[in-house]
Amino acid sequence: MKPRAEALVRLLAVQAAWTYERMSGIGVGHASAPLLRDLYATSSPEERRAAVARSAEFFNSHPYLAGVAVGAVVHAERERVPGAAIVRLRTALSGPLGALGDQLIWAGEVPVLIGLALAATPWLGAWTVVLVVVIHNVLRLWLTAWGLDIGLREGLGVGAALQRSWLPQAAARAQSAAAFAVGLAIPIVAWQLLAGASRQLVAGVIGCTLLGVALALGQMTRERVTGLRFGLGLVLVALIIVGGFR
Amino acid sequence: MTALVVVGLVTWGIFVAVDLVTMPQGLFSRPLVAATVAGAITGNLTSGLVAGMVLELYALDVLPIGASRYPDYGPAAVAAGAASALVPQELVIGVAGLVGLPLAVIGGYTLHVHRRRNAISVQRRLARVSAGDARAIWELQRNGLVRDAGRGLVLSVAGVCVALVMARMPWSEFPRASLLNWAAAAGGLSAVLGGALRSGGHGARRRWLGVGLAAGVLVVLLQ
Repeated sequence: MKPRAEALVRLLAVQAAWTYERMSGIGVGHASAPLLRDLYATSSPEERRAAVARSAEFFNSHPYLAGVAVGAVVHAERERVPGAAIVRLRTALSGPLGALGDQLIWAGEVPVLIGLALAATPWLGAWTVVLVVVIHNVLRLWLTAWGLDIGLREGLGVGAALQRSWLPQAAARAQSAAAFAVGLAIPIVAWQLLAGASRQLVAGVIGCTLLGVALALGQMTRERVTGLRFGLGLVLVALIIVGGFR
Repeated sequence: MTALVVVGLVTWGIFVAVDLVTMPQGLFSRPLVAATVAGAITGNLTSGLVAGMVLELYALDVLPIGASRYPDYGPAAVAAGAASALVPQELVIGVAGLVGLPLAVIGGYTLHVHRRRNAISVQRRLARVSAGDARAIWELQRNGLVRDAGRGLVLSVAGVCVALVMARMPWSEFPRASLLNWAAAAGGLSAVLGGALRSGGHGARRRWLGVGLAAGVLVVLLQ
């Protein structure tokens, strides 16, 4: 396997050794290794080892965009940039790549896909699941490869290149699209789940939902009452009623 | 449930757990995907899909960002999908919540334990990693993957056991059991709506949420 292809495959497992202390540093080191091995093929082992050690230090970004840093660092190593400057580059990339990736993927693309899938389920059934997986993974692989390539091409200038790219604008727009898709899904899913329920039950569900939303937004309760905790509480109450008053 | 189905569910559960944490992070761990496939393995794709939809409402409230602690809905959705496929049709929503939500909390706890174990593993090889030993880095990655698969195995086996218990419950003796449906549904709807309003802020995103809600209501009214 060629070094770039090997690095791409390894980037799919960039969080395998994730820790609170180094975050995805070890994974980035692992993904960089084939490219560094190729780069330092004719150099001394000490030089290669120093580069590998630098590549495995603390790093935190969105996993799908870690390739940007891998590529940029390898480019810098190729240019024989001093080690301290390379460490600074990684540190400088860490925050923006994390923020952009979180906005684009976790707060954007994923809720868009899931929201649209939930909204389309009454008509497409389980095919929505197939579509979600295929579309997401095509995008994910493309983004990983794009990130690695832009890093390899731009090196120390990758930050400016990212600013000029489609990424910041897409990240901003993705969140609005996500809000729309989730909003679209909520009434359709509610309609599906409550099909056949009596008016009293529908009123009860709406009442409980509004109570949960109020707790999720309330100043005093928003930190403590997550959706999961509220749901668990409701299920527990229902369980007591079901078991205790049969 | 045959042995082949149990093996299939446990294998799928391991894959789903590993997908969230280690690789390939390809959305296989989303409840909609994990539960639907689990339902299909168990022989009732539709119930699995409904279970996935219920748990997905809760999962949309979560942003799995960096060092934040979040529930693991993957193996929980596998168990919920399997359990929902084995209970009467009219209890699918409630059983999805009853099985999936507590398991998601436990899964989230195992994620934290997994990360701490990774840290111990890194500490043991710190000198080699600092010396640029690529072999040590590979060992850390491999061990992380194996540890995560072990985590998935434990959660999946526990989940399948819970699904089997659900299948053997004498549901007909509990005439009010459908209350579980409404509790799970109300919790999910409040989770997704509360989460969307909280993350929507006060600007364009909240307006887009409103547009989406209106469009959704319109779609429902047209049906």
